Amino acid sequence: MERRKFLGFGIVAAAAALVPGTLSAEDYRKTKPAVWTAHTVDDAITKMYGTNVTIEQGVTLTAPDVAANGGAVPVDFSSDIAAKSVAVFQDANPEATVCAFTLNENSIIDFSIKIKMKQSGTLTVIVEGKDGKLYSAKKSLSVALGGCEG
Amino acid sequence: MEIKAKLKDGVTTVKAMAKHPMLTYDTAKKQGVEANFITHITATVNDKVVLDMSTSQFLSKNPIFKFSFKGANVGDKIVMTWVDLLGGTETSDAVIK
Repeated sequence: MERRKFLGFGIVAAAAALVPGTLSAEDYRKTKPAVWTAHTVDDAITKMYGTNVTIEQGVTLTAPDVAANGGAVPVDFSSDIAAKSVAVFQDANPEATVCAFTLNENSIIDFSIKIKMKQSGTLTVIVEGKDGKLYSAKKSLSVALGGCEG
Repeated sequence: MEIKAKLKDGVTTVKAMAKHPMLTYDTAKKQGVEANFITHITATVNDKVVLDMSTSQFLSKNPIFKFSFKGANVGDKIVMTWVDLLGGTETSDAVIK
């Protein structure tokens, strides 16, 4: 084995050893690193799923119309679609991806999270259905006080 | 990590808060320190994964989140672990009520 490849393999193995509790879980930061450095929502979605064609239905996304504090914008989303994964994107920050969930047979798509938004922008939630299609919901909101300082 | 887990009608709802500064690359640069934020959060019940979340720096400081799942019973223990960019990790558990 070439030395370079061997070293690379060693790094991957060490990284895997550092993350004990993940079990069968998929860590998208390791499997799809390009998703986390993408600057636009379309680019991030394409890097994540290989396409950015989505169907805008079946996903409920709730966020305030005006967020007073961009440091902690409450975002709720839910769906009844039988799905493999869910991911949240926005276009207000330097990078587009906020978080991604891998689902299994016990999962229910009903999440609440709090996110940072540097400025006003649009949130996009993508639900990757078991049928291979992407379902999405979008919501635009104003941010009164940008929240990337905190 | 603070965890509250409640079972109702077969669905367990968990509210959790991780204590973490969630320093973005921008903020860290301004402060002259290294960026650090939670990159992955998992939760298991009876060794079965019930939450698997890859995260970026854009979760809020001390991120609070809520999620739900099926298939657990009252009295089961939920174990949650986060890992951050610099390799820090914390594991906490709670009993489902």
